[in-house]
Order: sequence, then C-alpha cells, then structure tokens
Amino acid sequence: MRLRFLPLVLFIGSLLVGAPLAGWAQVRFTLSGYIRAADSKEVLPGATVAAPALGLGATTDSTGFYSVALPAGTQNLVVSFIGYQTLTRTITLTKNQRLSFSLPASTNELGEVVVQGSATLEQKLRAPQMSVEHLTATEAKLLPALFGEVDILKTLQLKPGVQNGGEGTSGLFVRGGSADQNLFLLDDAVVYNPSHLFGLFSVFNSDAVQSVDLYKGGFPAQFGGRLSSVVDVRTREGNPEKIGVSGGIGLISSRLTVEGPIKKGKGSFLVSGRRTYFDVFTRQINKLNDSDPDYNPIPDYYFYDFNLKANYKLGDRDQVFLTGYLGRDIFGFNSTNGFNFDFSWGNTVGALRWNHVFSPKFFVNTTVSTTGYKYQIGNKLDQFGFGISSDIKDQAIRTDFDYLLNDHHTFKFGATVTNHQFGVGRLNANSGDGTLNINSDVAYTGQEAAVYASDNFRVNKDLQLDYGLRLTGFQSGSDHYGGIEPRLAARYSLTDKTSLKLSYAQMYQYVHLVTNSGATLPTDIWYPSRLNVKPQRSQQVATGVSFLLGKGKFLLTDEVYYKWASNQVDFRDGAQLFANSDLDAEFLFGKGWSYGNEIYLEKKEGRTTGWIGYTLAWTKRKFPPQRGTTGINNGATFYPTYDRRHNLTVVVLHQLSTRFNLTSSFVFSSGNPTTLPQSRFIYQDTYGSDYSVVPIYPERNSYRLASYHRLDLGIVYKFRPRHGERDLTLSIYNAYNHRNPYFVYFDQIKDEETNLITGYRARQVSLFPVIPALTYNFKF
Amino acid sequence: MMFSTRLRLLALVPAVFAAASCGLQKDIDVELPVGPAQIVVECYLEDGVIPRLTVTETAPYLSTTEEISLPDVAVVLTLPNGTRDTLQYAPGQDRRTRKIYTHISKRRLSARPGDTFQLDITDKQGRHLTGTATMPTAIPIQAVEWEFNDKPEDQRQAYLITRFQDPANTADFYRFQIHKSRINTDPESDYSVDDRLTNGQLVTLGTSYRFNPQDTLIVTLYHLDQPYYQFMQSADDARDANGNPFAQPSAVKSTVQGGVGVFTVLNYQRKTLILK
Repeated sequence: MRLRFLPLVLFIGSLLVGAPLAGWAQVRFTLSGYIRAADSKEVLPGATVAAPALGLGATTDSTGFYSVALPAGTQNLVVSFIGYQTLTRTITLTKNQRLSFSLPASTNELGEVVVQGSATLEQKLRAPQMSVEHLTATEAKLLPALFGEVDILKTLQLKPGVQNGGEGTSGLFVRGGSADQNLFLLDDAVVYNPSHLFGLFSVFNSDAVQSVDLYKGGFPAQFGGRLSSVVDVRTREGNPEKIGVSGGIGLISSRLTVEGPIKKGKGSFLVSGRRTYFDVFTRQINKLNDSDPDYNPIPDYYFYDFNLKANYKLGDRDQVFLTGYLGRDIFGFNSTNGFNFDFSWGNTVGALRWNHVFSPKFFVNTTVSTTGYKYQIGNKLDQFGFGISSDIKDQAIRTDFDYLLNDHHTFKFGATVTNHQFGVGRLNANSGDGTLNINSDVAYTGQEAAVYASDNFRVNKDLQLDYGLRLTGFQSGSDHYGGIEPRLAARYSLTDKTSLKLSYAQMYQYVHLVTNSGATLPTDIWYPSRLNVKPQRSQQVATGVSFLLGKGKFLLTDEVYYKWASNQVDFRDGAQLFANSDLDAEFLFGKGWSYGNEIYLEKKEGRTTGWIGYTLAWTKRKFPPQRGTTGINNGATFYPTYDRRHNLTVVVLHQLSTRFNLTSSFVFSSGNPTTLPQSRFIYQDTYGSDYSVVPIYPERNSYRLASYHRLDLGIVYKFRPRHGERDLTLSIYNAYNHRNPYFVYFDQIKDEETNLITGYRARQVSLFPVIPALTYNFKF
Repeated sequence: MMFSTRLRLLALVPAVFAAASCGLQKDIDVELPVGPAQIVVECYLEDGVIPRLTVTETAPYLSTTEEISLPDVAVVLTLPNGTRDTLQYAPGQDRRTRKIYTHISKRRLSARPGDTFQLDITDKQGRHLTGTATMPTAIPIQAVEWEFNDKPEDQRQAYLITRFQDPANTADFYRFQIHKSRINTDPESDYSVDDRLTNGQLVTLGTSYRFNPQDTLIVTLYHLDQPYYQFMQSADDARDANGNPFAQPSAVKSTVQGGVGVFTVLNYQRKTLILK
C-alpha cells in the first residue's frame, strides 16, 4: 500500500533535486510568442519552435502560444507545423523576447507543393510523449472518404493501435479499450456521443476543426476520466484579418463556414454549419406516392450541426475564447395506419476559456464549460402515446497552469471539478382516455474532481522525463470513490536519430456507458459509479524505439504495450437496461487485458507523404460467475468483437502537380470475432403461435469473420478562379469492390411449394460496395 | 436495449435492401463446433386437460437432420400429491392447439393455483432432464372495450383495450393474446409484459385500430411464472440475434435442468366477443 505513494514521493523529490539544476545553467532568456498560419492568421496549436543545435524546443499550446528558455547569444531556430512550410530564423537573444511567427501553407496552387515535415518528425523523435497521433483537418481533407464526407475520426482509425467498430463507422477502439473508454474533448469540453447517423459519421465538422491529438497511452497528467484514449479536438479560430466564406457541396450533405475579424487585431469568429439532405429527396418520393394506399412512406432522416468559435483579446495579457456546438439527428416515421415515431438525439456543448499570461514563463487557462447529450423518442399509436428519453448534463470548471521554470523544468498543474446530472431514463405512457398513465424517472447526480501536477524534466540532452500525478475523486449520493493516477513518460536518445521511450499511466473512469450491443448507439445511457458499481480502472505500460531515417524524411517507430483493466462493465443476459430503478443489479464486472506491437513508418516531407502502420494485438475479457449468474461465457476468457489480430494500413498522398493531388488508403485487418449459433431446436409455443427455430449459442465470439480489406482512392483537383479557391474532390470508397463481411446470419431453406424447411445455410452480408462520391469545395 | 438495436436496424433497412439488390449477400461455408445433443422438452399443463408434451433433441444448426422425437425416453410427471404419472410415447397432434406432441397421459389433470408439479425425463444415453412448475394465480380480466374510428363505413376499424388489476405485493408477468375466430390460428396480437412499472395498478393493454366490424375476437390474459416469462424472452432474444449485427447473442434460459425447454402450468382468463 505504501508503494502507491512512491511516485508522489519521487515527484516531490525531483522538484527538490531539479531546482538546483537551474543554477548550473548558463545565462538564459525566454523566447515566447505565437505561431500563426500566414494566410488566415489563425493560431496553430501543436506547432514547434526548436533550436536543433541545442536540442531545445517547445510546442505551442492550444492558444498557439509557445515559450522556450534559450542560452543568450545567437541561435538558429526552426519553426514547423504539419501542412505548413518550415521557417528557419537566426536570432540574437540579449533579453527576454517576444517573437511570433507566421507559417505559409505548404499546399497551395501557386507554389511548388512540398510538405515540410522533417522538423516535425525530429521533434516527435525527441519528445518524451509516446503513443500520440497528431492530425490536422488539412491532412484529413486530402484523404478519400465514405460518401465524400471527410471525417477526422475515421482518419484516426488508419493509425496503428486504433480499430473501428465496423464497416463505415466512426467509433474508436484504442488498444483494446471499448468505445466508451475514449475521452472526446472539443476545446476542453467533453463530448459524450461523437457520432451522427448511428455511428456512420462523427460530429466533428472538418471545416471547423483545426487539429486533433489522439493519446493512446502515456497520458499526460492533465487528462483523465476515461481508460483508453483521449481525443483532443481543437477548433479553428477564424480569420482575424478579413471576412471569408468557405463550404462544400457533397453527395449527402453541404457545409458552409463564415469567419472573420470581430475587431481587427482584437479577435475573430467562425461559424460553421452542415446538414444532410436525404430527407429532401425522400419527402418528394413520399409525396409522389401519396395517393397509393399500399405505399409505405420512407422514414425522414437528417442531421445537422453548428460550430461557433470566437476569441477576443482583453489586453496584452488576457484573451477569451468561446466555443459552441449544437448537433441533432432527427429520425421520423409517420405511417398511414396511425403509427407515428419521432426520434432525435444530439450534443450541446459550450465552453468559455480565459487565457491569462502572468509572464512569458507563466500562464494559465481557465475554462468553464457545459455539455449535454440527450435522446428522446416519442411514439403515437392511435390513442396510445409513449415517450422515453435519457440525458446527461455536465457543468465543469478547470484551470491549467503552465510554468516554465528554466530549460530543465516545465511544470503543468491544475484542477477540474465537474457536476454530472444523469437522466438515466424517463418514460411516460398514456392513453387518450386517461386510463393509462405511467411515468417513470430514474435520475442521479455525481460530482467529479481532480488535481494534477506534472514536470517535463530535461535531465540532459539525452534524457527527458515527463512525470506527474493526478488525484481524482467521485461522489454520487453517499457513495465516494477516489484514485491516485501516476503518470510517467521518458525518452532517452541513443543517438541523434534514435530514441528509446517508456511510459506508464494509471486511469480511473467514474462514468459508464450502459450498452449491451458492443457498438455505440444513440440510446446508450451514461451511468455513475455508485455503491454496487465501482469505477473502472486500467494501467498501461508501453515502450518503444524510434528511428529517424532517410536524412530525416522518415520516422520509424515500434511500440509495445500491455494494458490491464479491472471493473470492466458488461450486463447480464436479458438485462432490463431502461427505466430500471435498480440498474445497479444488472451490471456484471470483469477484467480485461490487451497487448500488442505497433510498427509505424511515416513520411511528411516531399511530394509523396503518408504512412504505413501495422499492429499485432490481442484483447481479452473475463467475467467470472457473480451476482447469481454464470458470468459471461460461463466465466471463461473471450475476445470482444473489436479484437483484431493483424491490422495493416497504408496511406499515400502524392502531389502530382500544383493542381492535382492523388491519395489512397489501404486497410487490411483480421476478421471480427462474432458469435454464431452452434445448434438449434424447434419451439412450438402455446395456442396458435407458429413454430420457430431457436438458436443455441456456444462460447461468446468463438467464430471469426473473414478478413477485411479495402482500398480507397481520391483525387483532388484545384481550380484557378479569379477570387478565392475552388477544388473538386473525387473519392472512391472500396475501389476494387471487395465484399467485406459485415455480419453473418443463418437462414432457412424452404421448399417453394410446401413451404417446409429443407435445410439451413450461412449467409454473409456486406454493407458497402464501391462508392464514388464527388464533392465541390469553395473558399473566398 | 434490444429496442435500441432494433432502431439501428430500422435505420439500416435501406442499406440492407441495397445489400440484397447489389449482390452484397452470399452463401458461405461455416465450420461450427459440434457439441452433444441435448434433450428438448415443451410441456404446458392446464387444469382439466390431459397432459401432453413434446420431447426432441437439439441438432447442429446447419445440419439437414430433421428434428426427431425420442421414443426411448421415460417421462414421469409427479403430481402435487406425490402421484407419479408415466406418460406414454404416442405421437400425435393436439386438436385444440394444433401442436405436435410425443408423449401423453391417460388422465386429465387437476391443478389449482399454488400446486407444484415435477417432470422427470431420462433416456438410455444417461441424459436426465428435470423440471418443477407451480401454477400461478388467476388474474381476472376486468374489462374488454373497443371503439371504432370515424372513418367511412367500409374503412371503419376498432381498437381494443383490456384492463386488469395487478397484485401489489408480487412481481408479476403476463402474456396477452388476441385471436381472431379460432384459438389455434396465429394471434393478431401477442406480447408479454411485466409489472415493473405498473405494480399494484390497474393495467391497460391495447391495440391500434385494426379490427373490423363483426370480427369475433378471443382475448387471453395469461398470468405467468417468472421462469416461463424469462424463457420466452430469452428465446425471442436468441432468435432476434440471428441476423441482427447489433444484438448480443443471448443464452436461452430454460425452465428445466439437464436439457433445454419449458415446463410450466398455464393459468389464463379468456373472453370471446363480437365487435358490433
């Protein structure tokens, strides 16, 4: 038990040891400022400023601000960011200095297109943080997409260690974690359901997104609350120089974005929206068939979302940022026989962040946010009405301090408090005559809090540590839980081009997704930790080696990870998961393990860029007999549906000319585990009912579907208009039209004359054939 | 939650149609593990009715084997007073229900609410199936009402509502059926409910506008024991999981031990009415 506090002791000890190191350093000054895009003047979070000769550098934070301590004298700086040209600059430091940079975009129709990424790769090689993927919306937009709908989450699925939840879906399963173990953040506010259209599209509009960071392990101490990943999405801030309009017209949706200065030099705004238009066509089809009494109208379906971002400088030291998101999916069905069905769901997010710079070395971001997810279903069948709904609402405040003590130590510390309101289930049913009137409401509250501190400790040129501690607590009613979450990431440079890395993280998750489908559905319910529902916990160790190859053009990384988790959540067979005031009793708890090896080769420089990722992985779950049940799978270990033994992705982006981009992505993965019936019996039932064949299922997920492979191709053609920019994007999904397995079912073979069963057969269903899609994008 | 997976399936209906029309379905070869066959029993006892039951065994799912009866099993029904009634192997079809049976008793059954019966089946392979069932109490139907819509005469249809009082102190389970004209045809309406949200209340079950003037309807309200209710639910879930990629395959919760199936005592209230 005492060992649990060892990291805390080491942490405090290192502060004591680290402080004198400041005295060893020669005279140093702080260089700080912002890095922006040259064209739009938007800030670039995640950009780097480095002094390669010294092995020193810094990365911009979410406001585009950087701060680095450098020795006095003349220094050569390299400023870089993915998708932008790298700048080199020589400066002479004689005092603390403020210096901002503007990076020109690397892809535009006027110049030679050369993606400069070597400095980024070198920075990645030298960073102690491992198991992280950074992706910009610019990159994602170049890649081919299903129905031409650019989806930043689906692009993340092409990274090693990340699995999808099924053909075409945007769900993420990271290093053996389930779909609810990902923390989705939109400008520091939590997004509970990141999907539209039952998971086929993500809620993140690529026009409003600047970049996304995916953490698969080695989690920095400022993140917590989910076991398996952090998806940190940052939205664009809008052009601070001039009003601009951009958008696109696609196969299933259109997008429009307006951005511009609020007041020049003070602030900017961005408003972006998109909407699908299936319903426009289906309504017309329904109208044309209105007179046909036998016609069954096609259900209405559409989704829309709006993003708002604004920022304003209150002075030299203060700036505020406002983020808003509203998204809804609407599904409706009105039949002629009196059955009406309305189903809507969506997220609402608002966040206000205040950035205050105490000094170039010390600044703070304080964010108040509110987030909510809700679904509601209303049915009407003649005189009967039936409605169900569920929601979760959070109000949160967090503050994050960054303090650059010297060139050896950069501290981050902060705290966060969240108030959760769980509307687990509301149900009402009534009849027109008032004889039926049922109301049920199951609701809870929960308070979650955390404090953290971490130190990025540059021991010497070769060794760098990023270690920290996060203390978390959760309360729901009279039930309390707490956790100590040590975090460690270390990098040791064997040579200038080779780094060894190591990380460890412990995570607690206090809110759970109530689902038994294995996939994320809009009707899934969030549920707090309570007396009989303990928090989920995981620990992960990872180690890896990175090589900079080909004169810095390639980065080859090999990472091995092992993750073990307790209090994993599932539900007993036939669990009553809705409007159940005793839902605690339906939970089953188990253990999980996942381990694997991820090999990743990436190239970010030159006309041809891209990556190759290969993952060899195992994911296992075990739910022993408990609570009057035999557990799951009779207590034996089983593979969840997202266990894939092999996963290979190859992504190539090639600049054919200044106006043509060719892109392709290829995916191969082992088949999903699935459960197929082993045997059958005939069930006659009582009075009148026809007989049926009932399947008997053996071990869970004991059968594997056939392997999955798919090639997508894309062509981007840039026009040369008088004003602004135009391009036409052709995406070809599943280019060689492979019939990938979606699911398998068993069917009866019947004699056509007698209608008697003559045998049984297994049928494989595929979802998407080859799908070409054309999207027209404009900007002026 | 099966409800939510059905919602998603509903949304994917166009895609599944597309799958069918674009040749996105195909037969595949699947090698399934072969396990030992289990005895399957279906037995619904009723007061005043000669006990009949069906004994078969499970078959590998993709085999062409027909479900066969098992003549060599010994079937013994133990009555509440301890009397052992050995049922004879005499396959036939029950005229009342049109169900096939394999074993039949020689005596009519006398059963009262609270009576407990036992079933014991053995065969020469050493398989041994047992089951226990207690007759539930009767829940009277308080009212059956119908009302026609306001449409023209040739389009007039009625909905039907049925009311009953749920007991307050027990967890109760019901099955509600409406048959048209004959009890041994497919029911027009058939669903099962529990009293989780209506405990102790006057419960109303209903239909949409779907019945024509002069229809003869037979309304049946079964009061079920929990094991039988769970068996029906789990059999439904198991069937639904075949072909639904979002459903979690569910194990069938038999009411018997040592095999698969259901052994229960039915207690129902039935009303016949003509819509006028």
